[in-house]
Amino acid sequence: MLNFIQVLFDAAALGSLYALVALAIGLVFGIMRLINFAQGDYLTIGAYALVVPTASVTPPLLFGALPWPLMVAGVLATCIIVALLTERIAFRPLRNANPATLLISSFAVSYFIQHALMLVHTGRPKSIAMGSSLAQAIDIFGVRIPGVQLVTMTVTVSLLIGFVILLKKTAIGIQMRAAAENFQMARLLGVRANKVIAFGFALSGFLAGIVSLLLVAQTGTLDIKMGIMPVIFAFFATVIGGMGSLAGAALGGFLVGVTSVLLQAYLPPDLRAFRDAGVFALVILVLLVRPKGLIPSSASRERV
Amino acid sequence: MSLFRSTLRAAAFLGATFLSMNLTAQAEEKPIQIGFAIAESGWLHNYDGPPFKAAVMRIEEINKAGGLNGRKIEYKVIDTKTERERSATAGAELVEAGVDLLVVSCDYDFGAPAALAGNQAKIITMSLCAADPKMGVQGVGPYAFTANSAAQSEGIAIAEYAQKKLGLKTAYVLEDLTIEYNKSACAGFRAAWINGGGEASILGNDTFKNDDPSIAAQITRLKSLPTQPDAVFVCSFTPGGASAVRQIRAAGVELPILANTAMVDNYWLNSAPGLKNFYLAAFMSLYGDDPRPEMNKFVEDHKARWSEAPVSSYAVLGYSLIEQWAYAVEKAGGTDSDKVLEVMNTYKDQPFLVGPTSYTPELHIQTARPWLIMKVENESFRAVEIYRNSFTPSMELLFRVGN
Repeated sequence: MLNFIQVLFDAAALGSLYALVALAIGLVFGIMRLINFAQGDYLTIGAYALVVPTASVTPPLLFGALPWPLMVAGVLATCIIVALLTERIAFRPLRNANPATLLISSFAVSYFIQHALMLVHTGRPKSIAMGSSLAQAIDIFGVRIPGVQLVTMTVTVSLLIGFVILLKKTAIGIQMRAAAENFQMARLLGVRANKVIAFGFALSGFLAGIVSLLLVAQTGTLDIKMGIMPVIFAFFATVIGGMGSLAGAALGGFLVGVTSVLLQAYLPPDLRAFRDAGVFALVILVLLVRPKGLIPSSASRERV
Repeated sequence: MSLFRSTLRAAAFLGATFLSMNLTAQAEEKPIQIGFAIAESGWLHNYDGPPFKAAVMRIEEINKAGGLNGRKIEYKVIDTKTERERSATAGAELVEAGVDLLVVSCDYDFGAPAALAGNQAKIITMSLCAADPKMGVQGVGPYAFTANSAAQSEGIAIAEYAQKKLGLKTAYVLEDLTIEYNKSACAGFRAAWINGGGEASILGNDTFKNDDPSIAAQITRLKSLPTQPDAVFVCSFTPGGASAVRQIRAAGVELPILANTAMVDNYWLNSAPGLKNFYLAAFMSLYGDDPRPEMNKFVEDHKARWSEAPVSSYAVLGYSLIEQWAYAVEKAGGTDSDKVLEVMNTYKDQPFLVGPTSYTPELHIQTARPWLIMKVENESFRAVEIYRNSFTPSMELLFRVGN
């Protein structure tokens, strides 16, 4: 018999991780109506920034060799810079294009980053000795809690609180919410579009950096495609939560992670292979019942 | 005048005869052509590259020793860029160019499109290291071979070894469902383990996906078993396999871990610092401790030729691929595909660098080639001993139809 509390804990940990990625996707979508599939590649770049860019299969460490506060800062800075660069080069010139064009552009950015990384690092997965002390589990009343899951949940909760404060209390936060609500009106009222959008991308880069560190600490591996699955799940999460709603994105991410773990834990062995199908069925179910997602944003109401 | 004319005619005749004789002689010495339709870019390059380099090494050795039946070997590579469509065109192009042997990618899905072109043109076609028996008579056709063993036999070898030599009685199987290769390795493992210990000796099965960020749920299930197994068999590949091993150990599960061959070589060991009690069946050791001196010489020769040791131990398969075909060409006295095929189909424990090799008209993949059992110790794979599985997979198990 499975320890139910243990399963809940496993589920909450994965849910938190997906919530962070979904939050980043939701943030950019809210302001720009862009589903940024390159989000996963920001994450990949952040992870690869830990090692020196070489073709070697056992590369020496770059940021990974620094003391941990510097390492975290280095990875976050890398992700933020990449996010800002892609915004400036690939998305800003297309700002007035329709959302489908933006989506195509994000795919192009994604493929470009993946292949650029492959050119430098080769396609062979690499491993990295980092955060293994964090990966160790501690035992509390028979519940096994790996350090990295504890960190993931703590980071997610604090970031969510931080985001709420940022969006409600700071000038830039209020401008972002205004832009998400009605971009034209916000601009007419003096909100500077470039600044707000760039800030949104910087935040999504920041989140990508956090997720890449958590993922590497958990798996100890680097792979060109490591960002793809989290982003696909996060995309579904934003759909479940309600496109354009930040609270919805976080909630959706959490639900997707939790569902995935619960299905893995309680499906009979023959059906476990279809775990992901179960997660996607959840998306369909939610959309049938609540077509605008669990927490629809006011912007999406206006548009329909 | 007529004298001049007839002299001219005679000279022309002589000249023509001489020229044609020269042409025949040239035809005899025309170099043998080997075509490689493999990935030189894209992710598959990392798997095609090492065996390709070793294959080139063997070609150069043969040329240095005077060629194959006195003919030099030349080779040509067309990059498939890790795309199935390009694999098909690369194969067709090389067939068009008249190659005598077509070498295709290290994977059934990516190698088969090129291999089909070779097989259709009745040219011997060999995959560098596909572990799927479909890369052979039943899948591609009678002219297709693979230099590797069937994935099933990787699972079989480590299962038998664990039962007979490590004295392990019960096992738990953690199966990565991402690609067919893992499923085949797991199927082989289960069949052999049940064969040795009975149905009840497998305490449970679970599945995961290579790109799962976390396998916490699977570990929870393993730890919740009423009796802990003696070993966990993980059939996967990197990076997901490395991540799984890291998470299993981090959760405090110190059981012996058995794995399939794709998890060989040191490059991923950083993921699981201090790993021990980890065993798999490998082709060879890259770390100078292979019990077969010729393998250590192979590594040294590779260093001399490419100024580095092979990146992967799969390299040796590429070397032996050329060996296998060249031996048959020598025996057949030429590169005629049907004659070469006839010789190759009679191989029975034919000794090559990678080990004894057998083919039959029905089966063009190895099912009982001896393995080098390796374990991880002090942050490196170490050779343990050579082991040959006695249980061989049935055709049903090889093609995973029924049980």
